[in-house]
Amino acid sequence: MLNKDTQREFQVLGKPTPKKDAPQKAAGRAEYADDISMPGMLHGKLLRSPHPHARIVSIDVSRAMALPGVRAVITGRDFPGVRYGNLPQTRDYLPLAIDTVRYLGEEVAAVAAVDEDTAEEAIELIHVEYEVLAATFDPEEAMKPGAPQLHGQSPGNISAHTESHFGDVEAAFAQADYVREDFFETQPVKQGMLEPHACVGLWDSFGKATLWSCKMSPYAVWRQLAMGLDIKPGDIRVVQTYVGGGFSGGKQEAMPMDFCALLLAKKTGRPVKFVHTMEEVLIIGHMRHPMKIWLKTGTTRDGRILAQHVKLLANGGAYSSIGGFSIFLAGAMINLPYRVPNMKFEADRVYTNNGFCGALRGHTVVQMCFARDSQLEMIAAELRLDPLEIRRRNAIQDGDVTPNGFRVNTFAFDECITRVAEMSDWSNKKGKLPKYRGIGFGCGAHLSGARLMGHSASTAEMRMLEDGTVHLTTGSTDVGQGVETVMSMIAAEVLGVGVDDVHYLKVDSAATPLDPGTFGSRVTLFTGNAVKQAAEEIARQLAEVAAARMGVAAEDLEFRKHEIINRKDEKQRVSLKEIVRWGMFQQGRIFSGRGSYGYSEEKIDFRTGHGNLSPAYNPTACAVEVEVDPETGQVTVVGLWGADDSGTPLNPMAVKGQVIGAAVMSIGHALYENLIRIDGKVMNPSFRDYKMPLATDMPLLANFKHSNVITWEPEGPFGAKEAGQGAGTGVIAAIANAVFDATGVRLNRLPLTPERILFGIKRLQEQNGEA
Amino acid sequence: MSTLMKRLPKFEYLGPQSLAEVCGMIAGTTRDEVLLLAGGTDAILQMRRRERTPRRVVGLKGVAELDFVRGQDDGGLAFGAMTTLQTLVASPLVGQRHELLQAAAAQIGGNELRNVATVGGNIAGALPCADMSPALMTLGAKIKLVSERGERWLALEEFFPEFGRTLALEDEVLAEISVPKPAANSAGAYLKFHDRHSMDMTIVGVAAFVSWDSESRTFAEIRLAYANGAPTVFRAHRAEALLRGQALSEEGLEAVAETACAESSPRTSWRANGEYRLELIRALTKRAIRQAWEKAVRSKAVTSKETSR
Ligand SMILES: Cc1cc2nc3c(=O)[nH]c(=O)nc-3n(C[C@H](O)[C@H](O)[C@H](O)COP(=O)(O)OP(=O)(O)OC[C@H]3O[C@@H](n4cnc5c(N)ncnc54)[C@H](O)[C@@H]3O)c2cc1C
Repeated sequence: MLNKDTQREFQVLGKPTPKKDAPQKAAGRAEYADDISMPGMLHGKLLRSPHPHARIVSIDVSRAMALPGVRAVITGRDFPGVRYGNLPQTRDYLPLAIDTVRYLGEEVAAVAAVDEDTAEEAIELIHVEYEVLAATFDPEEAMKPGAPQLHGQSPGNISAHTESHFGDVEAAFAQADYVREDFFETQPVKQGMLEPHACVGLWDSFGKATLWSCKMSPYAVWRQLAMGLDIKPGDIRVVQTYVGGGFSGGKQEAMPMDFCALLLAKKTGRPVKFVHTMEEVLIIGHMRHPMKIWLKTGTTRDGRILAQHVKLLANGGAYSSIGGFSIFLAGAMINLPYRVPNMKFEADRVYTNNGFCGALRGHTVVQMCFARDSQLEMIAAELRLDPLEIRRRNAIQDGDVTPNGFRVNTFAFDECITRVAEMSDWSNKKGKLPKYRGIGFGCGAHLSGARLMGHSASTAEMRMLEDGTVHLTTGSTDVGQGVETVMSMIAAEVLGVGVDDVHYLKVDSAATPLDPGTFGSRVTLFTGNAVKQAAEEIARQLAEVAAARMGVAAEDLEFRKHEIINRKDEKQRVSLKEIVRWGMFQQGRIFSGRGSYGYSEEKIDFRTGHGNLSPAYNPTACAVEVEVDPETGQVTVVGLWGADDSGTPLNPMAVKGQVIGAAVMSIGHALYENLIRIDGKVMNPSFRDYKMPLATDMPLLANFKHSNVITWEPEGPFGAKEAGQGAGTGVIAAIANAVFDATGVRLNRLPLTPERILFGIKRLQEQNGEA
Repeated sequence: MSTLMKRLPKFEYLGPQSLAEVCGMIAGTTRDEVLLLAGGTDAILQMRRRERTPRRVVGLKGVAELDFVRGQDDGGLAFGAMTTLQTLVASPLVGQRHELLQAAAAQIGGNELRNVATVGGNIAGALPCADMSPALMTLGAKIKLVSERGERWLALEEFFPEFGRTLALEDEVLAEISVPKPAANSAGAYLKFHDRHSMDMTIVGVAAFVSWDSESRTFAEIRLAYANGAPTVFRAHRAEALLRGQALSEEGLEAVAETACAESSPRTSWRANGEYRLELIRALTKRAIRQAWEKAVRSKAVTSKETSR
């Protein structure tokens, strides 16, 4: 009965299910952090540095304090001066700068006042005397001797370094028939979530601090708050509100606004709210790392990869965030989706006086896939191989163990390639489209959650109510991707109830189980397994009561449609509610279950890069067709066809939303998005000028197709793997390859702007004597 | 010096109900002291960036006489400075007489913006990227400036002496825009380029307006004007002259595009390099003329069919 995972006929799972919170959100009833209002609540504002690098000589807050309506003003010195951060070795954040600002926009002071306008006025009255320091913006410049130093403990501005070497790269290059090296460069890209960061802080009369905020990973925030405030985690409570889009970044960590809301609340005895403007969101840190990538690849004559050597320089900006892991991941993911028997990876993340970088959907896999799949296409052309064939020849297969120790269970990469070729009509298009129309292929891969050195296990708790519905709590947040729905579906599947009979509660550090939260595509697999276990435990408890009452064996009982049924004689059945009540009322039972996943001893050796980083890995392939205007260089994405092995899609509707969303973000990354900075100053800090693709930049739905290659991932709950990130990883290279196919212009630098494309076309015309 | 927007500076807000009141309020003041507020889609940002810190803001929203669209007896069109872009887009009268204006207005921002942004603000802001001015210039628009001293009419194409400036004196309000009746067999096109397809600020905008001589099958008239081709919106007179009286030809278009480039002096900014803007001027000039020509020729075909019926 309980061993449902061998049975692939589902009652709830596998059916397209609308998100449970969709009506709330569509009707405007969902309460976001900015919707919170409390009696006596004050409004906070942050003062930001106007310099990319400066010493703070003095701060005079007296005029701000004297402004009527201002209740408190704080500076960095009001905090204990304890640095906080993600990885233990790179804790370099402060709630507010104390003596040095390292990027233009860094938080220097904060005000709480009776309304927003007064708070803004007060901010202008704070006088800061700065001693401007020399600044450095480019990672190569920042590494040179004599460059301005950002952090004393990091000579040469090296914020993180990682390297790994598997096999023997030099020997493999010596043997290779063909070797080429290319340089690629990517730009800073922002999350672009629609809800800016917002929070409300309260410090109650018992001395306990509570933060309501739109956090994706409330527990990470909880720990960081304790660190930076230097108080016991137990004295802090973090309550998640609805999250209006996350894509990692500031919603993953404690931000200066969070600390300031709490400290200002403590000082004033009132709740304090902060909401970033979109301008602040775009100016502060948290963005995708801009990278310089030197990629050298050696192959046999028939296109088999023998070795890859990658050197990577990431422009980290002023602080670490999760950056040490970011560059590690970039290297690890060279091992997927192609077999690379010999590989060497050397990466530096460099501090510069820019907004800092961290995680963003697809993390650093996106940049690597752009470089690698662009180059692979060039190799195929040189070796006169079909671009699909070179990918097939190198494709990772089920059961592979990669040189760095990834143990790949399911990996239907070949089938993804085949499906995309079919859907896109590849063979009739490649090389056969009219001039300035082109098609390109791109592939990638992702993992379903990472096993990190710190906390990586997920947990779930579930409790049955007397009406036959359940309360389900985990530490994973719904950030719009549909976690609430899919976790409810898993529980409903096990207990034979409806999706709406499961109440998925928001994370509250005081009430819900400990869990690292939502990031790295971990939730469906990690938390999903925990939820499944918890539901199975309740099912076991119920079966025991039902079996005694029905006089049958517990193992023979099945949970279907609110009933408990004897599999051997289906006429013998009893309503779930009846058993729940009987157990509760007559036997004093508590039907509750717990589950956890990911506590395995298996860990990664971050010094060598060896280890099985994730329980499951998923490949993706896509083809993009573009049309290029030869007189302006403007690109129109005509079609996009993708295929992914997300294991068994538990909620196909959500999976579709995720894969299309990931692809759309990558279209933006490839063609439009770019946080333009001149001497550390962001030139386009608004959605008027920071350009994300809108609906009219997308291919028509009829030409925007996605196919799930269904596999049964043994590690996944009911065979599932991740869906939210992998699908975006191949898209950028596919677009670059399509632009090349259309125009003959090969661009290794992002974004692929009309200007660069047009001048590329002109250069080719000149070379061919056409101009 | 900070890049961040600040709260609005403190100012006194005045809400006049008539043009005469407005003129009284700004008489004898300087532009630093008083700011006229139309839709505010530029002006508010300028104040929040402290590019403008007026002591007084005169809001024009309550001045009903500045918000109208009127057909003239001679077949021309007149509209008030406070007409929103959305009103232009939605007005059947504008559509009948000057489709080009609708084409230009419809490409500015999204609905939310067009509902508040005004045509007067678009012109008076004197920005080189403003999209209404090129279209209006090619239609031969005139503008009415009003002050306590009286009113005067200027050709729009003479209105912008340099970047960010107009010939309006400090006590003058832009009150009305008037566009003459279009010639027979005429049509226009406005091509606005930006990197993405969806709404965006203009990198280069080209307005072409032509009238077609059905006897000689040549350009009876052609006018070209550019957004972001130079520090101000401008008309490319030398380029136009090349085609007047000529038939449409590939060489003719090439020559016009070349001359238009020579008349332009686009700037390099983080949005685009000057070199690239020139390439766009070259390409879009030809396209805009061709589109306008084809429409004009078609309009002739339509009218003659109608008359023969
Ligand atoms: C998101 C966004 C997108 C935009 N996209 C575009 C675009 O695609 N194309 C484009 O051209 N513009 C664009 N703009 C700029 C702006 O919205 C338009 O130029 C708009 O038409 C300005 O009109 P307004 O009524 O808002 O003017 P305001 O901001 O109120 O005024 C602008 C200037 O004109 C002066 N002024 C206004 N009315 C008068 C008058 N009657 N007499 C004298 N002086 C006057 C004001 O004092 C001020 O200096 C965009 C702006 C935003 C915020």
